Amino acid sequence: MKPGELLRLVWMNIIQNKFKTIMTSIGIIVGAATIVMVIAIGKGGKEDVADQFKNLNAGAIDISYDGGTDERNMESGGESTGGGGMAMPQGASGGFSGNAGNAGTGGGFGGGAPSFGGDFGGGGGDFSPGEMPSGGDFGRGGFFGGGNDMQERMNQENITLDEEDVDDIETFAAGVTDVTISYTTRSSVDGGELEEAATYTIGGVKENYADMSNLSLALGEFITEADDENKEKICVLGASVAEEIFGSAIEAYGSVIYIDERSYVVNGVLETMGTVSSGISPDDSIFIPYATGVKYLVGTKVNPTITVLAEDVNNIDGVIAEVTEVLAATYPNAEFTFEDAGSKMEAAAASNEILTMLLIAMAAIVFVVGGIGIMNVLFVSVKERTNEIGILKAIGCSQKNILFEFLCEAAAISLIGGVLGVGASLLVTPVARYFGVRVELSLSAFLIALLFAVGTGTIFGFYPAYKASKLVPVEALGAET
Amino acid sequence: MNIITMQNINKSYRMGNHSLHVLKNVSLTVEKGEYLAILGPSGSGKSTLMNIIGCMDVMDEGTYCLDEVAVEHAKEKELVNIRNRKIGFIFQKYHLIPTYNVLQNIVMPLLMRGMSLNEAREASMETIEMLGLAERINHKPNELSGGQQQRVAIARALVGQPAILLADEPTGALDRNSGKEVLKLFGRLHDMGNTIVMITHDLDVAEHAKRVVRIVDGELFEGKEA
Repeated sequence: MKPGELLRLVWMNIIQNKFKTIMTSIGIIVGAATIVMVIAIGKGGKEDVADQFKNLNAGAIDISYDGGTDERNMESGGESTGGGGMAMPQGASGGFSGNAGNAGTGGGFGGGAPSFGGDFGGGGGDFSPGEMPSGGDFGRGGFFGGGNDMQERMNQENITLDEEDVDDIETFAAGVTDVTISYTTRSSVDGGELEEAATYTIGGVKENYADMSNLSLALGEFITEADDENKEKICVLGASVAEEIFGSAIEAYGSVIYIDERSYVVNGVLETMGTVSSGISPDDSIFIPYATGVKYLVGTKVNPTITVLAEDVNNIDGVIAEVTEVLAATYPNAEFTFEDAGSKMEAAAASNEILTMLLIAMAAIVFVVGGIGIMNVLFVSVKERTNEIGILKAIGCSQKNILFEFLCEAAAISLIGGVLGVGASLLVTPVARYFGVRVELSLSAFLIALLFAVGTGTIFGFYPAYKASKLVPVEALGAET
Repeated sequence: MNIITMQNINKSYRMGNHSLHVLKNVSLTVEKGEYLAILGPSGSGKSTLMNIIGCMDVMDEGTYCLDEVAVEHAKEKELVNIRNRKIGFIFQKYHLIPTYNVLQNIVMPLLMRGMSLNEAREASMETIEMLGLAERINHKPNELSGGQQQRVAIARALVGQPAILLADEPTGALDRNSGKEVLKLFGRLHDMGNTIVMITHDLDVAEHAKRVVRIVDGELFEGKEA
């Protein structure tokens, strides 16, 4: 029998049993729609990750210290990135004592010798310069040479990264093109069209933050070195913040907002970035000069993040090692947290992969259930059409043709289910988007769904089709159906 | 020239622990162009004999030559070919495919030979007109009377120009007039040179054939008289 004629017969059988076909293919409809949505949500997730990191410098490394809990911060309700400073335990008056060891979470600096309060720095420049990347004399002003400055920093209650650490890294760490320091806090903001004060994220940043984070300005200019030095009360608004407070960037530019009841002039508005940089979402933040924030908002209750930009993105580990060494000179027993852009992207991508795998597993289960449904209906169909199979065999239809006809029917039912499933996914997409799920439909997802649908139907349809083809003609003709 | 030559055909069915010997050393020859009736009461083995003649069932013993093909040695593929090209089945209950229209039912054996629908339609138009079905080709079987359905079944059997027409109680499901019409048609087909083997339990029907054999308890006897 010509394949075209066989397909014509298959089509006739399907259109004469439209309702049965639709009901049979419900499992496949759901399965195909699920596959499309799984791929679309997975792709949306990937693009979300890519969007979040698109402006992130691949060579950017965030350094923070989260070795302890800053009780004062918690008490004051202040919030800063990096997990807050670390309070020294009582009795550690000799400076850092022993191995911090448990850097990362909680925990104070615990016992263990050697104490270097006396023999490190106090001796006046005994620190081995050979350990420093520069290999030269490591006497930064009076830091290591004088001993007093170092002593002071070693004896502080918290390890708080500061601008001197930035200078150290810039000076001594090789392979670094730029370094900046920033922090965030949350403060009450009023002004513009706000009916009442609202809490916003405030980022205290240096003048090079915009370049390092690839921020673009829609209007005005970013914070300058002079703004920072003079502790000017100016600010730069993220795009979303400008829209929320003033309705638009144009309205915002040059206006005044009140942060913690102090007035700040809006010196610039950022373009929509959609990314997160150094723990700050630029669109939802207000940027102020670093020193201004220290003076008026956070005081010493801050644990900033230092961001360094590696010269070579393939040498991130090398730069981390360099920076670790530089910081170890100042904070010998502290361990810092390093987060590079690549690791962040990998972590985000990995969690997205897990979600996608879960959804794929769900789709696979739906398909198996749908396939079993098709198999059941085809078994019933073979039973119902036993007489017809007998007639076909009596007039010379081969086993191969009967197998092919039933298989084609299964595949066609599945294909119809697949097409309807793809249609269903188009209906579901706006609903998913309404609930904030990023869905990126694609032609490849449609094709994969159709392929899976037809594959499932054909696989599960094979056994009933095989049974039909093997019916003995005389028994099939005489069967009571 | 013999179209059918059967020698010592035996067939048994297992019924639990017992064996039911349905055909006992049956020998039969049918000449080309002959019109034969196999007459027998219910349970005599005539349907089993028809199924073996029609290559729908296999014998346990004996030899069977159909139009110069040794059926007992034939593989499934050859049997499919024999059923399609050498035998035209006409069943008591018509056995039309209910979802196909008249034309689709009639051309089905030709489609199985690899013809396209258009080729098959052209090849079958003469038969369709001869059987007076030209006006009915788009009707479904359930829109036809019993007589008309049997004419469709006869057209389907004839359209492939088989070596024999094998009819199993062709008038069994028809009223008297329709039955007469079908038998008259068989007479015409015989006159046109077709070989017809008809199985019936009805002597009146059998008498329309030119030769009658009786089957009683699985044994075949020549002539209509016991």
